[in-house]
Amino acid sequence: VDPSTLPRPLDGAEDVKPVGNLGCHPRYLRLTTNAMPNAHSLVSRWHLPLGAVTHPLAEAPPGEEVPVVNFVGTIVRCRRCRTYINAYVMFTDGGRRWRCNVCSLLNEVPVEYFSPLDENGRRRDADERPELSSGSVEFVAPTEYMVRPPMPPVYFFLIDVSLSAVKSGMVKVAADTIKASLDKLPGYPRTQIGFITFDSTLHFYNLKSSLTQPQMMVVADLEDPFLPLPDDLLVNLSESRTVVEALLDSLPAMFENNLNIESALGPALKATFMVMSQLGGKLLVFQSTLPSLGFGRLKLRGDDPRMYGTEKEHQLRGTEEQFYKQMAADFSKFQIGVNIYAFSERYTDLASLGVLAKYTGGQVCYYPAFHAPLHGEKFSYDLARDLSRETAWEAVMRIRCGKGIRFSSFHGHFMLRSSDLMALPAVDCDKAFAMQLVLEDTLLSTQTVYFQVALLYTSSTGERRIRVHTMATPVVNELSELYRAADVGAIASLMSRLAVEKTLQSKLEDSRQATQQRLVRSLREYRNLFSVQNRTSNRLIYPESLKLLPLYTLGILKNVALRGGFGDCSPDERSAMGFELMTMSIPRLLKLLYPSLLRLDEYLIQGPKAEGLAGLPSPLALSSEKLDPRGAYLLDDGLRFVLWLGKVLPPEFVKDLLGPEAAHSADFTKIALAEQESVVSQRLLAALNALRESCPAVYQICTAVRQGEQPKEGTLVLSNLLEDRTAGASGYADFVVQIYRQVSQKTS
Amino acid sequence: MDFNELEGVEGVRLVWNAWPSSRIEATRLVVPFGVMCTPLGPIPELPLLPYEPILCKGCRGVLNPYCRYDTDAKIWVCQFCFQRNHFPQSYHQISPQSLPRELFPTSGVVEYVLSHPLSGHASPSGMYSPGGGGGVVAPPAFLFVVDTCVTEEDLDGLRSALKQLLSLMPETALVGLVSYGTNVQVHELGYADLSRAVVFRGEKEVPTQQVHEFLGLTTKQLRGTGPANIALSGIGRYLLPVSECEFSLSAALDELQPNPYFVKPGFRPQRATGAALSVAASLMEVCVPNVGSRIMLFVGGPATVGPGMIVDTDQAKSIRTHQDLENDRAPYFKKACKFYNQLSQRLVSNSHVLDIFACSLDQVGLAEAKVAVDHTGGMIVMAETFDSDEFKKSLQRLFARDEEGLLKMIFNASVEVMTTREVKVCGAIGPCSSLQKKGASVSETEIGTGGTSAWKLCTLSNKTSLAFYFEVVNAHSNEIPPGTAFFIQFVTQYQHGSGQLRLRVCTIARRWCDAAQIQDLSAAFDQEAAAVVMARLAVFKTEHEEVFDIMRWLDRMLIRVAAKFGDYNKEDPQSFRLASNFSLYPQFMFHLRRSQFLQVFNNTPDESAYYRLMLNREGVVGSLIMIQPTLFSYSFDGPPVPVLLDVSSIGPDRILLFDSYFWIVVHFGSTIAQWRKLGYHTNPQHENFKKLLEAPKEDAEALMSERNPLPRLVVCDQHGSQARFLLAKLNPSITHNSNQQGSEVIFTDDVSLQVFTEHLQRLAVQG
Ligand SMILES: [Zn+2]
Ligand SMILES: [Zn+2]
Repeated sequence: VDPSTLPRPLDGAEDVKPVGNLGCHPRYLRLTTNAMPNAHSLVSRWHLPLGAVTHPLAEAPPGEEVPVVNFVGTIVRCRRCRTYINAYVMFTDGGRRWRCNVCSLLNEVPVEYFSPLDENGRRRDADERPELSSGSVEFVAPTEYMVRPPMPPVYFFLIDVSLSAVKSGMVKVAADTIKASLDKLPGYPRTQIGFITFDSTLHFYNLKSSLTQPQMMVVADLEDPFLPLPDDLLVNLSESRTVVEALLDSLPAMFENNLNIESALGPALKATFMVMSQLGGKLLVFQSTLPSLGFGRLKLRGDDPRMYGTEKEHQLRGTEEQFYKQMAADFSKFQIGVNIYAFSERYTDLASLGVLAKYTGGQVCYYPAFHAPLHGEKFSYDLARDLSRETAWEAVMRIRCGKGIRFSSFHGHFMLRSSDLMALPAVDCDKAFAMQLVLEDTLLSTQTVYFQVALLYTSSTGERRIRVHTMATPVVNELSELYRAADVGAIASLMSRLAVEKTLQSKLEDSRQATQQRLVRSLREYRNLFSVQNRTSNRLIYPESLKLLPLYTLGILKNVALRGGFGDCSPDERSAMGFELMTMSIPRLLKLLYPSLLRLDEYLIQGPKAEGLAGLPSPLALSSEKLDPRGAYLLDDGLRFVLWLGKVLPPEFVKDLLGPEAAHSADFTKIALAEQESVVSQRLLAALNALRESCPAVYQICTAVRQGEQPKEGTLVLSNLLEDRTAGASGYADFVVQIYRQVSQKTS
Repeated sequence: MDFNELEGVEGVRLVWNAWPSSRIEATRLVVPFGVMCTPLGPIPELPLLPYEPILCKGCRGVLNPYCRYDTDAKIWVCQFCFQRNHFPQSYHQISPQSLPRELFPTSGVVEYVLSHPLSGHASPSGMYSPGGGGGVVAPPAFLFVVDTCVTEEDLDGLRSALKQLLSLMPETALVGLVSYGTNVQVHELGYADLSRAVVFRGEKEVPTQQVHEFLGLTTKQLRGTGPANIALSGIGRYLLPVSECEFSLSAALDELQPNPYFVKPGFRPQRATGAALSVAASLMEVCVPNVGSRIMLFVGGPATVGPGMIVDTDQAKSIRTHQDLENDRAPYFKKACKFYNQLSQRLVSNSHVLDIFACSLDQVGLAEAKVAVDHTGGMIVMAETFDSDEFKKSLQRLFARDEEGLLKMIFNASVEVMTTREVKVCGAIGPCSSLQKKGASVSETEIGTGGTSAWKLCTLSNKTSLAFYFEVVNAHSNEIPPGTAFFIQFVTQYQHGSGQLRLRVCTIARRWCDAAQIQDLSAAFDQEAAAVVMARLAVFKTEHEEVFDIMRWLDRMLIRVAAKFGDYNKEDPQSFRLASNFSLYPQFMFHLRRSQFLQVFNNTPDESAYYRLMLNREGVVGSLIMIQPTLFSYSFDGPPVPVLLDVSSIGPDRILLFDSYFWIVVHFGSTIAQWRKLGYHTNPQHENFKKLLEAPKEDAEALMSERNPLPRLVVCDQHGSQARFLLAKLNPSITHNSNQQGSEVIFTDDVSLQVFTEHLQRLAVQG
């Protein structure tokens, strides 16, 4: 195979267009193939996951925001299947009735919603009504959509203040960032806030607005934690602002000399639950030490190499501690969403801690061996974004679809309430969800099937709202149609989630094999489909729509969550990546699976030819062959940047980029990249910022590494050059050959 | 013999100042061989000896003027065990002309400044602080335990009182703060950044070891440091010297909020008094073990949760009354008493005192907690609010200073009793606890706290009095010539306000007498001491016996005294006479029977507990006032005169000054009140009237100034509603049942003193 001819996503971000003009934008909802098979036989030959990926709160560019609809009277929905009125419904009887596009039931049009129809049978007011002209709308929900008054935004911080948490600088960065974010917290003036810090004891803070400074109350009874106060542990931010600021100002100093190395996280979670359970809200846990005391005490179990390759291997990636599952269930039930920020340099059993985020719609942010001077900026950005981004409170989400199909499994961070209702105590614009479809026994008889995602939530402003995304897909009876309409991004998203889930049930090796098998089977099916034309061909053939699938599949196999075995990455990093994959939007995932590699030396010296991203050099194939020792390269996987500096780069250039420290530094990764007085440095930072703005979900910290600086070069760069052959894993070309062989094998 | 005068010299009063020398005869005297001892009573010109006492090598008795000694042979003989002892080297120059001070005939009571605790003598263990040395012990700690289930006004009153208290404390004293309501908070005064407190659940009693752990004061948490360093760590955090904590304590007090938990209508707040005290005791145990210190509870209502609770929060359930206690209808009483008993033991073993300042209209649980106060010598103050004078002044007086500016507060004392062989000590009743010292002086018969010859007093004042009970164990066959002396020595070791360790030795000698010589015995009888000794015993019995039985016992005892010492013809009540030494005794008993110490009607269990606690520590004079209040009449006729405690003493043109120790009533006769209302005293022509009005008030002030807690002062007019405080205490010689047409009538069915006396005479002469 000639590697240079292999397909690569090098011409910029994929651009997926909406299907038709009535459906929602694909940033909100994508199907793995934009055609629905009408028979089981088709589905079974498809082999790839059949399903959808939804990103209900995806950020839209200015001007494309989801329109808000305030109904007079109740929201119009189908009497039978509860579908929300949408652009696809048909009005009949002069506008007095409408036919549900999902279940075909004929519904009465409420009097207050009546409008006459035009000559084409279209409502005359359709263009003024977003729900009838747009694929995405947001209804303001009346009181029947509330079980209680809409909750205010609640932010609760549970902060580890043990020795390592303080020494790493985490506590200070957290306190400073929270303080700086106070004005950006959504929901002013209703927003509520509270804090607990902990080491071997729990520290509560009375933030009563009449106080001049907070009062700290220590509870050491870990077997029976209790609240030292009935109120004022969770307070209205605008009322208690000065007390909250006073606390954040003194927090770092208060624990400056703390020698406590214990972590009573479990009891702290219990206590937090007691504080938050009345309102719910968002819980941010800052954890730096393996929980060592009280409930939920965790063991050093992840770093045992003997487990790998055995039937028990997967247990390392799940939790043995029932406590976290129970706690997560309680949190979910009481509308508490948990985000875990982890900082330890040692094993902290993220597999267990992450369960809290997993079932509550949260996320896991991991900063291994956090050191404020190096990682503070990233942590600070991530936290600030977490605190300021659009968040939907006490939410539930359901996806409806037409008769004959149904959603059978759901993949992401949520708790499933009833068979298809996802409970999302706090969900934000950076979370995507995936689900798989199955065909019911009856054949799909319609021409089109409809999908409708409805997210019922409380906005930060205190309104109960329903965000509805609706789309239509044609029903097909040809396998080739399925392939033709395939969406490789959605497929990769579902495949990666399924692969991660499989690692929780079986060995890494098994999960990788299953993933690869999917690819092989589907390509084989495709090859068979066109057997006549292709029998003689000795290349791998695939539909145009899936040309990147082998590459992305390889990306999945080589992802930290699945790659290698014990020695290849720490169990915590693996878990953290697993949690990341389960919530990532499709564009971010694809970037992660195939990072971009940019050669920057010339660009930095000569300056950009155009503003921002457009001025950046084109990405290169992800291969070490592309790395010129005279060059400087940027590897960007959307999570972080690595600046690779060739061995023979002029020292002056390196110094200009990294600062004078570079001259005598044995390890560039220890240098925090800051703006220098050189123009190259300024250009670099400008480029990095432009890249960051294009991918705002997390902050990409930029780590510099010098060619040949092992092992850092290996872990940061070389192991992520997807197309290279790495220890135990194929390069892109090999992989394609391998797949080709497997595809051809049984068919010949 | 003027027993009062003798008390001034010796600090003790004996019921019997001469004892029959045989056991059998002795038991026939009815009234026990009690000694009221004020271990640290003020003695004029008390010698303060700057050297160590000389001890008998046999029994550790202290050399005293009653010992036989030979200045030539340099030998002295112990009068308790007859051991011959050599004077030490330093005494080689003594001669009859040059005696050491303790051998002066006037040195029955002397005091030594010790450089070490006296070996072989009862000294509370570990009384020395690590840093002390040179006979000066560690400064005391004062831990405030503050109830926050009170109104903001009450809390304000308390804040200002406590802040003021700081200025009254020595700079080196340690101070700490525990506040509580539903939960218990131990304030970390040494934490600089912001106010910090360790919080405990009020519902449960946390074991001491766990309290230490929660406070971060364990060996493990402090990386293997020893107890001394743990204590120091605790002292830097939770207990701070006054000089360092003024700011943080004031801030902590200012930030105290009334208990923030919502109280449903019809419910009492959750007040975890017991848990707070338990935590406080644990804190003190680890920070200031065996350092004389006080835990000062400021409580505003009943304990309703956790250990020591006395009533439910539900107001439908009322707080236990005496009737409930009698009928076993107080579901929490026994459990609470058990809790406080255990607390008491912990406090005593660490020389920590419990004071209770109960400022509440409700009972707070003193009946249950009393044991811990009593056994540690602490103080109880009852008032209605934290803003009241009764509370504020009493609190301040606790921190009174002597002429040298030192705290009058005494800590960590022990009293040991040495006796002549034929005499044994049965026990003591007072604010003390047993040190479990067995020995030759200990009787098998127990009265009060017995089975020991030494008692511990975590604190005491120069007024605190103990009642000791003795018995004569000499067999009848072993005749001792009448007129021979026997000896009792009270050896009191204590921590002086200066921090000095001191030893007071009081040796008394009395004579054996022939029981057949009834007039000798009579002359030796101190009826006042007898009344008080009996009262203490009666009150002590209330802990375990029904009041009805105690009354019967008192009556029987009185009849037997009357029968034995009265002068009468058999079966002829009219002929009955009592010698002057006995003449008041029946009257004392009459008033004792009617007193609030035994009569619980109209008193709550808390009030009874308080009164009994106070009687249990007061000297003879004060106790008598408690039992039989004094009444003085002021009129134009001359200087004030004592009048009968009888309703007949009320007159329209008299002002009465009534003193029952707890209450002082100034009662204006109706005419005088009338004149006062007309403003005669403002008229310069009636200067005399003005003086008459002022005199009893000034005297009342004088009485009040000596007492702590501050008595309640009632100023009232005849027929006024407040006059009931006086009427309740007067002998009902005229009642609504009598036919007499008098000026004043008391509505009561109680018998009058006359009727009582007649009964007594009739029964005494029956033989
Ligand atoms: Zn329908
Ligand atoms: Zn002796």
